[in-house]
Amino acid sequence: MASLSPPEEATYHHRHSKRYSSSSSSSSVTASNGIESVSDFVKRPKISPPSYISYSEIESEFSHHDPDFARINNGSFGCCPSSILARQRDWQLQFLRQPDRFFLEELKPKISESRSVIKLLINAEHDDEVSIVDNATTAAAIVLQQTAWAFREGRFDKGDAVVMLHYAFGSVKKSVEAYVTRSGGHVIEVQLPFPVNSADEIIDKFKIGLESGKANGRRVRLALIDHVTSMPSVVIPIKELVKICRSEGVDQVFVDAAHGIGCVDVDMKEIGADFYTSNLHKWFFAPPSVAFLYCRRSSNGGSRDLHHPVVSNEYGNGLAVESSWVGTRDYSAQLVVPSILEFVNRFEGGIDGIKKRNHESVVEMGQMLVKSWGTQLGCPPEMCASMIMVGLPVCLGVSSDSDILKLRKFLRERFSIEIPIYFRPPADGEIDPITGYVRISFQVYNKPEEYHRLRDAINGLVRDGFRCTSLSS
Amino acid sequence: MEADERRNGDSTNHNHRAPKKPRLAGLITESDIQSEFAHHQTGIARINNGSFGCCPGSVLEAQREWQLRYLRQPDDFYFNGLRRGLLASRTVISDLINADHVDEVSLVDNATTAAAIVLQKVGRGFSQGKYKKEDTVVMFHCAFQSVKKSIQAYVSRVGGSTVEVRLPFPVNSNEEIISVFREGLEKGRANGRTIRLAIIDHITSMPCVLMPVRELVKICREEGVEQVFVDAAHAIGSVKVDVKEIGADYYVSNLHKWFFCPPSIAFFYCKKRSSDSDVHHPVVSHEFGNGLPIESAWIGTRDYSSQLVVPSVMDFVNRFEGGIEGIMIRNHDEAVRMGLMLANSWGTNLGSPPDMCVGMVMIGLPSKLCVESDEDATKLRSYLRVHYSVEVPVYFLGLRDGEEGVKDKESGLITAYVRISHQVYNKTEDYERLRDAITELVKDQITCQNLPSV
Repeated sequence: MASLSPPEEATYHHRHSKRYSSSSSSSSVTASNGIESVSDFVKRPKISPPSYISYSEIESEFSHHDPDFARINNGSFGCCPSSILARQRDWQLQFLRQPDRFFLEELKPKISESRSVIKLLINAEHDDEVSIVDNATTAAAIVLQQTAWAFREGRFDKGDAVVMLHYAFGSVKKSVEAYVTRSGGHVIEVQLPFPVNSADEIIDKFKIGLESGKANGRRVRLALIDHVTSMPSVVIPIKELVKICRSEGVDQVFVDAAHGIGCVDVDMKEIGADFYTSNLHKWFFAPPSVAFLYCRRSSNGGSRDLHHPVVSNEYGNGLAVESSWVGTRDYSAQLVVPSILEFVNRFEGGIDGIKKRNHESVVEMGQMLVKSWGTQLGCPPEMCASMIMVGLPVCLGVSSDSDILKLRKFLRERFSIEIPIYFRPPADGEIDPITGYVRISFQVYNKPEEYHRLRDAINGLVRDGFRCTSLSS
Repeated sequence: MEADERRNGDSTNHNHRAPKKPRLAGLITESDIQSEFAHHQTGIARINNGSFGCCPGSVLEAQREWQLRYLRQPDDFYFNGLRRGLLASRTVISDLINADHVDEVSLVDNATTAAAIVLQKVGRGFSQGKYKKEDTVVMFHCAFQSVKKSIQAYVSRVGGSTVEVRLPFPVNSNEEIISVFREGLEKGRANGRTIRLAIIDHITSMPCVLMPVRELVKICREEGVEQVFVDAAHAIGSVKVDVKEIGADYYVSNLHKWFFCPPSIAFFYCKKRSSDSDVHHPVVSHEFGNGLPIESAWIGTRDYSSQLVVPSVMDFVNRFEGGIEGIMIRNHDEAVRMGLMLANSWGTNLGSPPDMCVGMVMIGLPSKLCVESDEDATKLRSYLRVHYSVEVPVYFLGLRDGEEGVKDKESGLITAYVRISHQVYNKTEDYERLRDAITELVKDQITCQNLPSV
């Protein structure tokens, strides 16, 4: 089932094959595709080459995935290799074996260990700055609750603003409604263009949004910015936006990087936000579910008003400690973080190598689809990480949110393809615009055949004169 | 041949599988039970089911199947499997607890989460000016520490005041509890205040007592308490739960304690009131505003598998004679029997009469151990774990001025109690080991003051 042309396939597999033998034709590689240059290879000490994870080992690690599916949607629910699942089961068994002892002696030190690993990974200053929670949704509740208290207790004036992106995740928007709007804050949504052509387009729109937040003498108390938006998916120029927030006097910046760690570069000191959250189960191979919430120490100063909303006897001992005990639960997903580091280091370049290769592959697959369908990408390659938006042929007639839900279901049931689709409403004056975009993801278990299946399915539908209107509800 | 067997209901070929036993004779055996709990650490007397509960191997297996379904194809599971599975669990629970409608039943992680939900709502009442500053929340002094902290975080912070009712302990009758509760309500209403919430434990944790919850809720209604929240963390699988009979506005119980679920799952019952929809899960998702059961069914990507196994747990308990009722009765009877054995052996007492116990019993420790503080109790507990492989929580009873206390057979004041639990995996030897450990400590004149550090 050779689906790539021979030269393409060779390059693809060469890029992703992990066994190096001394007879490999190292002279044919270049530095630009992520593999060592000849000179580097030569400079390496002449001991046996490192044995990185092999392709068949990767297949085996993900053998629990449904083999019938083209699983090209890692972005939604992530993935977890079986060796990590096995480690997780070990932890679960330890608790079940003797829960009192585990709770009293093991749990807290092990969570601390996970936090230390994360702190190093994200370049935070102190372990204290890293709390582990279930997911970005929980982290949002924590940060927004503190904002709500400030409104309720009069530290913020009613009508002061919270600025967020129009493409913010649905749950986050609801959380803003529940905590901010309900306590008197004014919410401003910044509309971003899509498709987008450059980071400047986003920066300009954001500046306008901040201006309107400050209108009528209001203060902008919180800017809530995605690092990588979910739908449509675009990498936001977060460093620049944080700088602008600082210079415009925004009190606090909260970066929602659900798709952060394992997807984009996550360096807390460089990014400079007050709060930053990322799920580890999306792109960092953790089992569901575990996320970190980073809270910069200096900006909070003396007022430690961050609390986990599920209050336990640890209340008041700092967010990290509060989050490590929210009542009896299965904390095993939080305990495997050190094991994940071992897993990713079996890949060349560790997590950075994985990120790089995922990015290159998803761009390659995206461009392949664009070429075949005669459409376009939703953003330039440098504004995507391991996900990319690819326009669907206009003739499919995507014209509403309900169309894309039906089409997604159809692709799942008829073609065993799992792919989220975004409806992009036409703007005034546009003629025959692309109104549907698929979001493809690329993770280490993906293969070109899966994207070819999508390519061919869509081409087949086009050939058959398919219209979304023909799909029943 | 297999197909024939199935059609005819019996085998005509005796070389193949034995005919299926009739249901009654298919009850779980002692060795089945041992096998179901084979993952428990051997060699320890695990007599503290009350703290973290237990989960049989067959339910863990069912959980793993759910987890694998999700991992196999998570999108499909999210769109087509999850909510149906959660509804199935909720329906089983709704029937068990005699709720009017499955909409009244939400699944959350644990009682701690339910407390946050209720107290956030009460807190909003104060913040939004619906309640006057100093309006009260009434609770027992032995309410679980997490609940007390939740009150601090959400109610005290916005100006609500609290009244703590001291649970008499050791206790001899329901009347003793009812009488102090009435006094507590009086205090809560003093100076024109309104009691906005009463928090009543169905079964207190430490010290452990089965409360006359129906009567207490009735009194609340009579005395104009606005809302009643029953914290029944230990209830389901311990004692019969009929939420209509109990009559509270909110009722929560953990299923991972006494109902054989894996960690963690609790049901949270909210009596349907036409006026009231302001209960929300504190972790807000896109389901915000769709009703608490729906909000709780999606609080972001997580492992919901422990909430999906409730039907499998019913299969498990129905392998026991009398099902869950049979288990509850036997746990109670055994716990009481073991409690009396210990009290007699040590010359001490039970913390409450047998009809105020469930599958847990408080037994006084000999005064000679000289437990004089919470730290002493913790030290003793650790010592029992490390040196005798006995896992049992120890409760220090701080007596107040004027309280006489109870004396043991040495005429010393009983200042501490152990809380023993009995669940289906326990054996008499477990409690005998505790008995002998304490007896030996007393014989060797060990006290909490000269206890070697572990």
